[in-house]
Amino acid sequence: MKTVEKVVNPVRRAGEQSPGRIYDEKLKVRARREWRGVKDTFYDYTRWLYLLSVLGRFILVPRNVKGFFRYRWMMSYLFVPHGMDKFTIGLRDEALRIAHTSFNFVIADVTQAIANCFRGDRRVGNDKAYSDKCVITDENSMVTFMMGFDRDKVHTILREVPTMFASNIFHQFNVMHYLDIAQQYGIPGDVCPMPEAEAGISIEDDFCVLGCCAVQNNTTCDGSLMGNGIIAKRLDREYGIPTFQLATPLRHKEPDVLEYAAQEIRNAIAFVEEHTGEKWDWDLYFKAARRVNYATKCRIAQLEINSTPYPQFFGAAFSLYNDTNYMGNSGRDPAFVGIDRKLLELAEQGYKAKRMYAGEYRHRAIVWGVQPQYVIDMLYWMVQCWGVVPLADMLSIINTDMIADEDTPENREQAYRDMAMLNMEMIMRNHTHGGYKVLLDDLWDLCEKMNADVVMMWEHMSCKALTGMHGMFEEQGRARGIHVMWVTHDLCDPRVFTRQAIRDQVNNYMRTVMREEPLDPSLENIPDNEAY
Amino acid sequence: MKNLLKIPLYLLLIALGFFVVTFTVYFFNLDMKATAMLAPLLEKWYDRLERKQYI
Repeated sequence: MKTVEKVVNPVRRAGEQSPGRIYDEKLKVRARREWRGVKDTFYDYTRWLYLLSVLGRFILVPRNVKGFFRYRWMMSYLFVPHGMDKFTIGLRDEALRIAHTSFNFVIADVTQAIANCFRGDRRVGNDKAYSDKCVITDENSMVTFMMGFDRDKVHTILREVPTMFASNIFHQFNVMHYLDIAQQYGIPGDVCPMPEAEAGISIEDDFCVLGCCAVQNNTTCDGSLMGNGIIAKRLDREYGIPTFQLATPLRHKEPDVLEYAAQEIRNAIAFVEEHTGEKWDWDLYFKAARRVNYATKCRIAQLEINSTPYPQFFGAAFSLYNDTNYMGNSGRDPAFVGIDRKLLELAEQGYKAKRMYAGEYRHRAIVWGVQPQYVIDMLYWMVQCWGVVPLADMLSIINTDMIADEDTPENREQAYRDMAMLNMEMIMRNHTHGGYKVLLDDLWDLCEKMNADVVMMWEHMSCKALTGMHGMFEEQGRARGIHVMWVTHDLCDPRVFTRQAIRDQVNNYMRTVMREEPLDPSLENIPDNEAY
Repeated sequence: MKNLLKIPLYLLLIALGFFVVTFTVYFFNLDMKATAMLAPLLEKWYDRLERKQYI
C-alpha cells in the first residue's frame, strides 16, 4: 500500500491538549468552550462577540422577530455560536483565523439571505415592491444566469439555503420534522433527504413566499427532480409565481451538449428579464466574471498549498465557503474578493510558518462523496483524533478554467457558453454526473497530485449516483495501493446514522486496518449524539 | 475638572465589567446552555401553529 511521510508538529499546542473533555452527555451543547491559550482564546471570544452582534442586529428588526416565530427552521439559528464551535475544534493560530474568516462571512451572508426572505415574504414583511424584483433559485444551483443583473435592482433569493441547507448545520434534528411530513404524504424514504426535506418544507408551507418568478435546476438526482416538482407546483398554482426549469445536461463532458446548455442560459435570462422588467447588463456581467476568475485563482492557490506537507485551508469551512462563493455568489458580490484575498494571505502565512492543525499528520486523505450535514465538523475531528489530514473534498474540486472576462462581441457569445459550463459543472453535478471519468479517474488524478494515501469515501446511502460505483472504487483503490475508507451516513437524518456511528467507522478502520492508536484518545468517543 | 478626570476611569471599569461578564458567558457556554433550555418551548410553539399542508 502507498505510504506518506509522517509530519510531526515540533510545537506543542497552546492551551488544553484534549478538547474531547468539553463534551458532556447530559447536555445538548458543549459543557464549556475550549481553552486555546490566552491569545487564541481571546481571538475566539472576539469572534463570538461578532457573531452575537450579527444575530443581535438581525433580531432588532421587528419583521425578523415575526418571521422567527412563524418558521420552525428559524430555531436552528439560535445555535449559530454552537455551530461555529464545531468548526474550530482544536484549532490555533492561522487555522483558527481561517475558519472564522471564512465561516463568519458565510454566516453573515446567510443572515442577510434570511433578512431578504422576510422582507419580501407575503406572511412577514410583505414588501411588495421588493418582492416584485426577487428571483427565487434553488439551493443547489449556480446563479450564473444572474451575473449580468444589477444586484440593487434584481434580488437573487436562494430560499432553500437558510431554510434547509444551513439550518441543518447548526441544529442536527431540525430537518427530521420535514422528512416526516414528506413521508406522511407518501414520498419514499430512500431518496436523498436533502431534497426530500425541501419537499417536506413546501408541503408544510414553511418556505417564505416571495418573488416575481423562480428558476429551478435539474440538480443532481432523482430526489431533487422529485422535490422540484412538488415545490414548483405549489409556487406556480397556489402562489402564482411562475417557475422556469433550467434543464442542464448531465453528461457535461460531452462537447456537443454545450450549445444546448448555452441556449438554456439564454432562455433563463430572457425569463428573468420578462418577469422583473430589468435588462441584462454586459458590463456588470464581465465585472462579475473577473471576480469569478479571481475566486478560481485563489481556490487553485489554496489547493496548491494543500498539496504540500503543510496544508492550511481545508475541511467544512473550505467546502462551505467555496459553496457560497462559487455557487451562491458567482462573482456578483464584490465583498467576496476581500475575503478570498485575506484567506489566501492567512494560508500563505501559515504555510511559511509550517503551522499544523494537529500534533502529527500520519495520513493524507482526499475526501470524496457528500458530507453529512449534521456532522459537518467530522473532518476536523479526523485530523485531531487520528492525524488523517483531509487535503481536499469533492465539493471543492470544481472548475479551474478561466472564463472570458473582457467585453468584446466574441466574448459575449462565449459568455453564454461559460455560464453554461459553470452551471453544468456546478458543485455535486461535476463529479456525481458526467460519467466514469469525473467520478473515478478524477479522484485518482487528485490522489496523485496531492500525494494522498487515503480516500475517505462518504457513502451517502440514499445517493444512487455514488453508491452504484462502490465496487469500482474498491477495485481501483486496491490496484493503486490507496486505502479506501468507507463512511456511511444519511446526509440529513441522524436517526439512521448517529454522529458517533459515523465516527466509529473511521475508528474501526484506523484500529483494525491501519493498526494505529488515536492521537487524541479523548476524541475517539464523543457523547454528542443528542447534542444540537 | 476632577469629575472629568474620572470619566476614563468609569469607562475602563465599564469595559472591564463588560469583559468579565461576557467572557464568563462565553467560556462556560452559558449562551448556548440557556438556548438549549429554550428550544423545547419553541418546538411546542411551532407545533401549535396551524399550517396549510398541500401536495
